[in-house]
Amino acid sequence: MFLVSGLGVLLGTAGLVFKVQLGYHSLADTLFDGIGGFLFVAAGVVAHARQPANRVGLLMVLVGTGSFAEDLQLSTTGWVHTVGLLLVRASSGFVTHLVLAFPSGRLASRLERLLVGTAYAAVFVLTPVGALFDDTRRGLVPRTNLLLVAPDSAVSGAIEQIVETVGAVVAVGVVAVLIRRWVRAGLPLRRVLAPVFLTSLVGGASTFLYGVLGSDDPLRVANRWVYWLAFCLLPLGFLAWVRRVRLGRTAVGTLLARLREPLSASELQTALAQAVRDPSLRVGYWRADAEAFVDGDGQPLEMLRADSGRDVRLVERDGRRIAALVHDQALREDGHVLDAVTAAAGLALENQRLTAEIRAQLAEVRASRTRIVAATDAERRRLERDLHDGVQQRLVIAALSLRLAQQRLSGTADPETCALLANSTANLAAATGELREFARGIHPAILTDAGLMPALRALAQRTPQDVQLAEADVPRLSPAVEATGYFVIAEALTNALKHAQARHLRVMVECSAGLLRLEVTDDGVGGADIRAGSGLLGLRDRVSALDGTLTVHSIPGRGTSVSAVIPVGAGGNESAATGGR
Amino acid sequence: MTSPPPQRPAIRVVLADDAALFREAIAGLLRSSGLEVVAQVGDPDGLRAAVAATRPDVAIVDIRMPPTYRLEGLKAAVSIRRDHPGVGVLLLSQHLESHHLPTLLGGNARGVGYLLKERVSGAAAFVDKVRSVASGGCEVDSEVVALMMGDRRPDLDTLSEREREVLALMAEGRSNRAICERLVLTPKTVESHVRNIFTRLALPAQPDDHRRVLAVLAYLRARR
Repeated sequence: MFLVSGLGVLLGTAGLVFKVQLGYHSLADTLFDGIGGFLFVAAGVVAHARQPANRVGLLMVLVGTGSFAEDLQLSTTGWVHTVGLLLVRASSGFVTHLVLAFPSGRLASRLERLLVGTAYAAVFVLTPVGALFDDTRRGLVPRTNLLLVAPDSAVSGAIEQIVETVGAVVAVGVVAVLIRRWVRAGLPLRRVLAPVFLTSLVGGASTFLYGVLGSDDPLRVANRWVYWLAFCLLPLGFLAWVRRVRLGRTAVGTLLARLREPLSASELQTALAQAVRDPSLRVGYWRADAEAFVDGDGQPLEMLRADSGRDVRLVERDGRRIAALVHDQALREDGHVLDAVTAAAGLALENQRLTAEIRAQLAEVRASRTRIVAATDAERRRLERDLHDGVQQRLVIAALSLRLAQQRLSGTADPETCALLANSTANLAAATGELREFARGIHPAILTDAGLMPALRALAQRTPQDVQLAEADVPRLSPAVEATGYFVIAEALTNALKHAQARHLRVMVECSAGLLRLEVTDDGVGGADIRAGSGLLGLRDRVSALDGTLTVHSIPGRGTSVSAVIPVGAGGNESAATGGR
Repeated sequence: MTSPPPQRPAIRVVLADDAALFREAIAGLLRSSGLEVVAQVGDPDGLRAAVAATRPDVAIVDIRMPPTYRLEGLKAAVSIRRDHPGVGVLLLSQHLESHHLPTLLGGNARGVGYLLKERVSGAAAFVDKVRSVASGGCEVDSEVVALMMGDRRPDLDTLSEREREVLALMAEGRSNRAICERLVLTPKTVESHVRNIFTRLALPAQPDDHRRVLAVLAYLRARR
């Protein structure tokens, strides 16, 4: 690499010396060729220093060196002049290769390899063959072509014409490839490509015109100027790209600085997106247990569909998969930044992966807790129905039979039998009543049939002490929320009756802004403790399974208040009207 | 506990309960007491069809029926009372609840009953209630009424003459507006009378439709 660069500088200096010595070259020609060539060599050296593995830097130096080598033919020294004749179009081949290999340094398709191969063949095979017939002794400045086989200007002219035509065809191909690439590129890639592609397009068009326009055409002079301009601007375009690489490094530096502070999952995603300049970047965290990627909140991440124009970079640490970056396909061209970013963010990503995994597991635990509550409710409803439809009906029928037997025997049987029968019917009636209330305690049917407010009214109605129940507009809620709300109030009332020695009991229900608020207050002795084995502890678990809260305020001598807040969206979407036995 | 001598013609009954065993038990009781069970059905649609076809004196309806086993029986009872005013409806419920009573009565206490299902085992007493509803009476389970009343007993003697008039019209199922027209009173006056009735009968604080039912029940009981 540095050998080539040194050679380039040497040749460049030599070329300038020749041109100045000869003195017939226009200042513009000398200046542009010199500046362009040196810029290529310089930009190439810089690019190589930034990315030694990328062939683009070497190709840039080769373009500069090649352009200087073309000037060797100006030398009056025989062997130098001859070498120069062989290399008289050297830079064109390298330029073609460079433009097509940019920015990855590799040729991606067969068409690109064909174009580059054709260009090299024209430059390094056809042109030297032409040199065999090029008699340069009769030029303005006589020189000696040591390889001259047969001085034939017709043959050398024809070969030159072929080379220029091939150049025009290759130029059309290059322009077509560039335009196609541009159209397909996403925004991040276009930002990389823009300066180089624009100048390459102009240069390509100019090369094409050079091959097509006749040598007498006045436009040819203007076209030459355009070519020079493009030639000088091209290394500047590459320098812009080199600077972007540097900027990418700066972005990685900024990222590293930000990573010193703990970041949330979304902040980390934003920081990564900024570092690679792809706002669409998404981070997926690997859940080994579920074998799936989830986002920062533990929710399943929709991965790639084909044709989405997006790509995935897997991030591993110590041989374990920890995350995936879903990004614009264009970032593949900018791969080094992505490498640096993933390396820098590895630890942060690992931390976030653990967090995401825990969140996902938490979400599952919550969901299962909610399902358990719903299943318990369903089981209680089923029990209550079975008691009514099975046992209770049979008890009633048995009591009816006994009563009928009693009626039939009355007056005919002995009084003791009659008394036994009467006793049995009375006991059966009492059992039926107890069973009814028992079933009601398991699950009051009115809660399912009519909703929370009617169920609470019925509860207040049968509470042996006056309960002040504030009427409220409560819509039908999910069975889990209705049942939880009901049992919280039932338990609080039971506790108040048992322990509080209260004179006044007040129940307040309110449903607004997606929250069901419940409160039971008494003016009793206070000092209740939710941990003291009361049923409220179990109810607190139930309430929190629905993402709600249950609090008890109980100051000795100043009464007790039990309040619960339950999000009405909790407990699933099972409609309150779901029936069946 | 002897049933009165069978009347001519026999009281015609439609039975609606999805539990065949229970239905048969009631049917047996009613037949042995001289009533005629003209149809037995297990669901609300069958009940409506049977009532329309046989025009019974009374339909005995389980509050829980298919398909959801919630309040299909109640809905069917209300629609029968609306579509066939001459047919008495006796609703049986497993649950001791007063909530459905205003819906069932709808302000009209004629030929309607609401009893706990276990009252069936009272045999003759149950048959009496069936007869009562069939002949236009109003039978509400005493436990339901007790639940609604708390410990208080309504006393009609505390009412003024005008208040008794208003209460009698309430018992006929008339709305406040109809009572205004009938007695040529302003709506405000009628409302004030109704409030006084609630207060004087010491009806506990409840939604107004519950209290209306209770007032009507008190009136009906006092007239017996």
